[in-house]
Amino acid sequence: MSFARICRKERFGERFVCFELEEGDIASQARPGQFVMVRPGFRVFDPLLPRPFAVLSANDDRFSLLFEVVGKGTELLSYLEVGDVVEVLGPLGRGFSLDAPFGILLAGGRGLVPLVFLAREFEKRGIPFSFFLGVRKRKDLALLRLLEDLPRVLWSCEEAVSGGFCGTVLDLVGKCLERALWQGARIYACGPEGMLRELVTVFPGKEEDIEVALEARMGCGFGVCLGCAIPRRGGGYWHVCSDGPVFRLSEVVL
Amino acid sequence: MNLSVTLGRMTLKNPVVLASGTCGYGREIAPYLDLNTLGAITVKGLSLFPWEGNPPPRLFEVRAGLLNSIGLENKGVERFLQEDLPFLEALDTRVFVNIWGKTVEEYVAVARKLDAIERIDALELNVSCPNVEKGGASFLLDPEALRELVGRVREATGKFLIVKLGPKLQDWEVTVRILEEEGAEALSVTNSFPAMVVDVERMDFVFAMKSAGLSGPAIKPLALKMVYDLVGMTELPIIGMGGIMTAEDALEFLLVGARAVGVGTANLVAPSSAADILEGIKAYLLRKDMENIEDLIGRVR
Repeated sequence: MSFARICRKERFGERFVCFELEEGDIASQARPGQFVMVRPGFRVFDPLLPRPFAVLSANDDRFSLLFEVVGKGTELLSYLEVGDVVEVLGPLGRGFSLDAPFGILLAGGRGLVPLVFLAREFEKRGIPFSFFLGVRKRKDLALLRLLEDLPRVLWSCEEAVSGGFCGTVLDLVGKCLERALWQGARIYACGPEGMLRELVTVFPGKEEDIEVALEARMGCGFGVCLGCAIPRRGGGYWHVCSDGPVFRLSEVVL
Repeated sequence: MNLSVTLGRMTLKNPVVLASGTCGYGREIAPYLDLNTLGAITVKGLSLFPWEGNPPPRLFEVRAGLLNSIGLENKGVERFLQEDLPFLEALDTRVFVNIWGKTVEEYVAVARKLDAIERIDALELNVSCPNVEKGGASFLLDPEALRELVGRVREATGKFLIVKLGPKLQDWEVTVRILEEEGAEALSVTNSFPAMVVDVERMDFVFAMKSAGLSGPAIKPLALKMVYDLVGMTELPIIGMGGIMTAEDALEFLLVGARAVGVGTANLVAPSSAADILEGIKAYLLRKDMENIEDLIGRVR
């Protein structure tokens, strides 16, 4: 693990916090879909375990994370300010494939984090893509700030918003993406488990070509505790931290 | 400064040991920790056949503690020998291998296979497993089954033999005498504590198996008391473990008489923990102007 200073902090809506961190090794190595383990730098043992967060962006000597405050660990981290130090381990896990002919990126809530990183990488590589974001609450639309300069962004909200599509991200996709448009694309998705489970109905016959970035409660993050098991298609388990967090939809049972 | 410790016929270059199940088969933690600096590594519990473990959820964090219900998932002894032994061969530290089985025969078969491997320095028996042939009661809670198990494994291997005790012992005095008589050479004290969490929203247990093993700082004072008591009860050397996060924690165990210390859950919190703990022990000895770590062991009785 290494120590990283928080050099920028930004809030998005009520529940999302973004940290930019100074740590050259992670910044230079991280790929879209990978994650880091983070704990406060003052070595508390309650909360005990570091928390896993997807990398939002990385360049030169800085990388950034965005997380939602969902419990004790994330709440404690959300109190940290610019100049404070966190302990980080990473980059960890298997990221997204980067050789798609055309990408369809589907994000539910905080699931946008690894997909924003992927979108930036696609821009660099000249790979065309469309970005779909769905959020539950009107206030979460603050996340759209992260997508401001991306082309072809469509969004939806489960609360009514004037001028916005009302529904989930998959409702939105169902309305505006015909089979001909997704047939030749690779689909990348990250979001709540219910959303990921529904992908197979929205894109029938496409399971081999859908990559999902999964979230899990983790112990270590690097494959020793075997705590983040998820059922593997055909029996047994994968470990989200070391076999994933990105899987083909056809590899997992959600 | 002399950091080496002896556990019977076993010498470790220092008392810091990685505990079973928290450092994988060795390779996984190696990018983050120089294993050669440590006294020993304990490979996660191996069984005769691959074992897929329990369904999720497998982990739940509580105040300063962690409950786990991994269910002994492992790749089995054969795959371990093929895939991981070559990495361990190249290490300059002691290699302990934790083993378990559902029957005495399974333990014996695993012990035989590992006995043939020169690089492996010790076997650590997990005796907290359910004994399938005796209706699923833990070996540790059935004195006769425990006697048979340890005795049979002892016949099967000439390796240094460690028995890992759990906190639930029927009769400590009886258990310890059995282990001594059947040829155990050291004790690992202790395994995680049986514990439970209820999900009040769902009105159900968090874990499918209802109970799970509690580890981490929450159990440290309990484990320390166990080690203290057992040191007073037997001449067998004890590897003390249970919630050791810092050098100070490790020193407490050594001071009450543990001859080595196991670092477990701390490896999950930060994979370099064991190295930090060792550095902290050295700094303490320096500060106390002590040349020899043996002078610490059992000073507080």
